[in-house]
Amino acid sequence: MNTVAAELIKLKRSQSLTVVILLPILIVGVGTFNTVLSGEQLQNGWHTLWLRTVVFHGLFPLALGVALLASLIWKPEHDRGNWNFLMSGRVPSLRIVVAKTSVVALLTAAMQVSMVATVLVVGKLVFGLDGPLPAPLWIAAGLTIFAAVPLAAVQSALSMLVGSFAVPIALALVGAGVSAFLLTADVGAAIVVLPHALVSRATQLATGTFGDGGSLTAASTLSVVGATIFLSAVAIVGSSRILDRRDGRS
Amino acid sequence: MNVLRNEFAKLRHLHLVALAASMTAGIVALTVVGTMTGDAAQHASALSLAGLSLAFPLVSPLMIAVVASRTIDIEHHGNGWLLSRATGVTLGELLRAKVVSAGLVVTTATVVAVSLGALLGGTKPLWTWLGYAGAMVVVNLAVLTLHLTVSTLAVNQLISLGIGVLGTVVAICASGFPSWLAHLTPWGYYALASAADYRGDHVMTLSPSYTSVAGLAVVGVALFLFVTARLDRQEFLA
Repeated sequence: MNTVAAELIKLKRSQSLTVVILLPILIVGVGTFNTVLSGEQLQNGWHTLWLRTVVFHGLFPLALGVALLASLIWKPEHDRGNWNFLMSGRVPSLRIVVAKTSVVALLTAAMQVSMVATVLVVGKLVFGLDGPLPAPLWIAAGLTIFAAVPLAAVQSALSMLVGSFAVPIALALVGAGVSAFLLTADVGAAIVVLPHALVSRATQLATGTFGDGGSLTAASTLSVVGATIFLSAVAIVGSSRILDRRDGRS
Repeated sequence: MNVLRNEFAKLRHLHLVALAASMTAGIVALTVVGTMTGDAAQHASALSLAGLSLAFPLVSPLMIAVVASRTIDIEHHGNGWLLSRATGVTLGELLRAKVVSAGLVVTTATVVAVSLGALLGGTKPLWTWLGYAGAMVVVNLAVLTLHLTVSTLAVNQLISLGIGVLGTVVAICASGFPSWLAHLTPWGYYALASAADYRGDHVMTLSPSYTSVAGLAVVGVALFLFVTARLDRQEFLA
């Protein structure tokens, strides 16, 4: 618990809230702007708005946002010999990895909450949509938070290994691109291999896009939950093993 | 001249060529996917151009931001700005050398990507292909110069990479923007330089907006020279 608390203290100076707040506003802003500009109405109300904002966000900006957050969280450890402090400390690798992943996942959850809140505000104030956000979309939003944990773990591992701020973000773009291609080609198995595909799939639940049936079923929900548990375990155990074998730097 | 030679020497350790190669690979892969969606037998060249016109805005802005961040971040980490200043190289001079070295890598990656796209679908009409290649080189160099400048002025690389993410979103959406709006940011020029697009199910060749791209080049060079002239008079970066 102390490890997570230490990470939360480091957050204060990381400027991570900029990403958490601004990225969803940017995505919803662009979706809204394009809709207003085209002069079209939102044909299926909340569903159409969800498609133009949250589903688009899930295709690649979400992965880039998580990568930015992971780079920010690992940045202090790569600066000014902090890596040697980390290596010479008594905290086991697994606890370091779990703490870093938890903080990235927590910030990703905050980003998703920020996304849904922005969609609600825009839906009501700009488009004057009737009624509340449909229940399946609330569930999809919750599942997206859960399904982002493996992505947080993998991007955290990449930022730990690479040391560069920028390169893990480029790798996130590659992962998101491959995932978008596989999901477009209806390769559902991608979600148990690529965490980028898993989180994209979660944002697409109950939308009828990218091979989704259009309604939230037990099968689609369980496949996302199962893949999340499997990929999280693999990513966290794998990266703590790698960290175990790392040494100090001169 | 030594400054430039030093910058080329740094490229190897930064793995910039590998990054630029992955940018090319991403653009070509997306173009191949694009050519699968239409009637390749009749419109191979136009499909290939349409694929490139979609792939460049998707891949280039962020990959260029990464290349720029890698190029500049070593100077922030290794106190390279102060070291260069102490050896008589001004900040602006170092930044101009970085634009040349990283620019050569990005230009090569761009030309290779367009050439591989041409191999996929042929080069008819030839002038459109040449014009599109030239336009993409100019737009990519403008975006690279912007990122190198931002990475230099803002030590926190979150700003440059954040702008890269913003640029990617703008570049993707710019094809739906009105022309005046696309002219306001460098990423909008990816849409203005498009050489082919879909009209319903049909793909058709377009003429890239050469005047707009030339305007971007003039404004970009003027702004860059202004900023580096100011940096030349600065003692060191805080």
